Amino acid sequence: MVASAYTPQDEDKAIWVYLEHDADQLEDVSKELLGKGRQMADELGWKLAGLLIGHQVEPLVEQAFSYRVDQVWMVEHVLLKDFSIEGFTQAAYQALLQAKPSVFLLGATPNARDLAGRLAVRLRTGLNADCTDLRMVAENGVLVSEVSGFGGGVLALIQMAEHRPQMATVRPGVFPLPEPVAGFVGECITVGVNLQPGDIHTQILERQVGEGMDLSRAEVLVAGGRGVEGDFAMLFELARLLKGEVGATRPPVDEGHIERERQVGQTGVVCSPKIAICCGISGAFHFVVGIEKADMVIAINTDPQAPIFDYADYCIVGDVHQVLPALIAELRRSMEVVHA
Amino acid sequence: MPELHSVVCVKVVPKPEEVRVDEQTHSLVRAQVRSEINPPDMNAMEMALGLKDRYGGTVSILSMGPPLFEPYLRAALAMGADHIYLLSDPAFAGADTLATTYTLSLGVRKIGAVDLVFCGEESSDGATGQVPAGLAEWLDLPQLSLLTHIDLNLQERLAHGRRELKGGYEIVRATLPCVVSVKTAANEPRFIDYAIKDWAFGEGRITVWGHEALGAELALIGLAGSPTRVTGLAEAQTRHRRREFIDGDPQHIAHRLAQLLRDNN
Amino acid sequence: MSDQILELDEATWERMLQLTHGAVAECFQCGVCTAACPWGEVRQEPLSVRTLIRRAQLGIGHDNHTLWLCTSCAQCAAYCPRGVDINQVMRALRLLAWERRQVEKGLPAVLWSLYWNDNPWQQPPSQRMAWANDLNLPKFDPQVHEVLLYIGCTSSYDRRAQQVARALVRLLRGAGVSFGVLGEAEPCCGESALSLGHLYYFRDLAREALQVFAEHGVHKLIAISPHCWYAFTQAYPALDEKVAFEAMHYTQYLHELVQAGRLAFRAGGTRSVTFQDPCYLGRLSGEYHAPRQVLKAIPGTNLVEMEAHGVDALCCGGGGGRMWLETPAGERFSDLRIPQAQHAGAEVLVTACPFCLICLEDSAKTARAATLKVIDLAEYACLALEEAPSSE
Repeated sequence: MVASAYTPQDEDKAIWVYLEHDADQLEDVSKELLGKGRQMADELGWKLAGLLIGHQVEPLVEQAFSYRVDQVWMVEHVLLKDFSIEGFTQAAYQALLQAKPSVFLLGATPNARDLAGRLAVRLRTGLNADCTDLRMVAENGVLVSEVSGFGGGVLALIQMAEHRPQMATVRPGVFPLPEPVAGFVGECITVGVNLQPGDIHTQILERQVGEGMDLSRAEVLVAGGRGVEGDFAMLFELARLLKGEVGATRPPVDEGHIERERQVGQTGVVCSPKIAICCGISGAFHFVVGIEKADMVIAINTDPQAPIFDYADYCIVGDVHQVLPALIAELRRSMEVVHA
Repeated sequence: MPELHSVVCVKVVPKPEEVRVDEQTHSLVRAQVRSEINPPDMNAMEMALGLKDRYGGTVSILSMGPPLFEPYLRAALAMGADHIYLLSDPAFAGADTLATTYTLSLGVRKIGAVDLVFCGEESSDGATGQVPAGLAEWLDLPQLSLLTHIDLNLQERLAHGRRELKGGYEIVRATLPCVVSVKTAANEPRFIDYAIKDWAFGEGRITVWGHEALGAELALIGLAGSPTRVTGLAEAQTRHRRREFIDGDPQHIAHRLAQLLRDNN
Repeated sequence: MSDQILELDEATWERMLQLTHGAVAECFQCGVCTAACPWGEVRQEPLSVRTLIRRAQLGIGHDNHTLWLCTSCAQCAAYCPRGVDINQVMRALRLLAWERRQVEKGLPAVLWSLYWNDNPWQQPPSQRMAWANDLNLPKFDPQVHEVLLYIGCTSSYDRRAQQVARALVRLLRGAGVSFGVLGEAEPCCGESALSLGHLYYFRDLAREALQVFAEHGVHKLIAISPHCWYAFTQAYPALDEKVAFEAMHYTQYLHELVQAGRLAFRAGGTRSVTFQDPCYLGRLSGEYHAPRQVLKAIPGTNLVEMEAHGVDALCCGGGGGRMWLETPAGERFSDLRIPQAQHAGAEVLVTACPFCLICLEDSAKTARAATLKVIDLAEYACLALEEAPSSE
């Protein structure tokens, strides 16, 4: 068995969270992990720390403290201004070798997944990816990760006894977003990194951030399928009234009625809203995977045999072109009453 | 200029809807489960073959698995690839991502003269999505991940790609050779090319390497090389839904829905 | 008009001649095909079948999109003065498109679905018999069973079409027919691959299917979909593949049962009924008689004909692989059929093909045709069964 770069015997009893950031803000997923990390650390009497990598990122240290981290380990270098897999892996590697935390959690975002993957190999340690839940075993400080496989059909519990750090990635929205608190101040520790321009072989040439729509975070999801027949305007109106987002199945996306970023399901976005309203969607397996985690599912379809009804809490056999306008009118009416 | 040579990592996986878990042994029931090529790996194949269409060269398929993978890999070969390399050895079994990426990296090194290594974004069984990054680390290569499109500048030995993320996109660039992970459903995988089908299923070259041929360190492969352990396995319980039908005219339905939305939002 | 010089491709022409057994040479460009094609009724621009064939004769390329509009209804071929097998020409052109990888989006996925799932609908193979969970259908045994009931992929997986299969089971039991099914071993007939023009893959699928039928000792087969039936009775033999069993469409078999006195229907209310001739049962196979005889055997059925019926029947729009391609609202042939049925005075529009059923029912819903019910012949007959069948 290969040994990891450091062993359980050498570990610092700390839970580390990768503080991913963009445009002077900590990513929500990092905050969620801080919330969960704080809870797990408190259970064991361990430290919670954040790993912050970048250039001129001191303001983010303050933000991190408001999520009650005991320490922020900051790796600062001009070459870390933009994300590069080589630079960030090297920075994280050096910080982890220095501090030797027991646990290292990262959000399962496009860049952090790559970072976690490279880091785990560099450290010769294990990595539990896309976890749906985490817990610490108090007796031995082992992290138990729950992961799903086979499109969500199978759940597995995974852990590593002999390797450190115990790494895990978690998707945004799995853990709740904590509220920041004022007045909490921790320790900030700066770590140096050996980095030359010649170490970096990748470059971001152009970047266009979207309007920030993130379906996976939406509290209310209004999803449309074939039965909507391209008429997404009324779904957008409903979503606006409910302060939610609009999603879609593959057929309307393929037909160009709505953009691919809004596709929900196995090959699209997996959402966990409080409410999912499925309009004119038949309910094929690969779509349902995208809304399974919703607290409440409402389905509207003209076909009483539509499979979606097996996955819904409230089932309406009807035409969305009649039900949605009526619902929109009803909601507008009740909002007027409130504002009157 | 030497020919462009891409390697595509392909995994054969059980069809997700067919998978069952044995409650007693907490392991997957593998018997009589139909398999398929991991769908994102089909997208990786298509991206590599698209580059072959445009720039020429060859495409090699690399896979780690038992001999039963062979007919599936030949279907991938029949899409237009040139060679299959199968890393097959009982010692490779039970590998988690660390051991898998180590083994695959040895395969890539042994194949040699590789410009691009393509992987699907993740696999439908484990779905860790960590193989591309881990593989890049073992090979000490740059990586471009979650690409939907790719272009090459062979003179300057560069790859340009487009990644879609956060509702927007990035145009990224890396030096060759590099590892590329391909976004699921980024393209439409071409069907089997009947001009080469008979060759692919007949004389088509398949090279099988075990741990000795690869010069693998035993401590780094298979179960021995896997830091993580599965301690529990269960079929996920599908959430129980109310399945309550609401009848009536649209106004009545709207009224009831508005009520539900108010109560639950 | 630009001075464009078109390259004539002799090789393509030779290939087309070979693939169509010379049929493509027979067209003398009269244009009747284009006038007959139903696309001219739903769009400003008709589908110029004539141009497609002319370009094929010259070996020059064509607009790819147009090629995939064809539903293989063969209305053009029915009126062609030279009897050109236009479907064959279209399939040959589509085969060339596959070889050049110039097919419509979504079509490679259909073939991959056939490859990995044994059905064109991306459905799990293990779910093929889920529709019959409660029916206790016996596995086909050639020593015991008169016929094999061949369900087909669409009736196995499509929720609406499954009901046709269930109705047919009731009818067969009601008639005391001893039948079995192949269950999860049932092979796909491959017709979707044929319609989409991948003639080589279709041949592979045909061989695989014939092997399964041979292994199970199938001697007589009843098919629910005319597309499957057409594959077994016309497309497989055209490949020079030996088909060792007799294949009937279920309407023909029901007719046989009625004539033999094994199936009787009780009197019910009178209703005006019209019949949609599925292209693959009627125009492509010449079977117009059997379904009408079955309808007439059901008491209370006042059979009226739509103006365009029999060899002139309007295609539902589902053939030629169109079930796997999106037809924009407003361009669907079946939308035109609903008022035609109403104009004939029908309260019930009966059909005998799962594609027709799905398309016509969808159009009836779109048209909000409250007074017209769309139903399959098996379902219609089931409503009039003498008594409840005993289950086997």
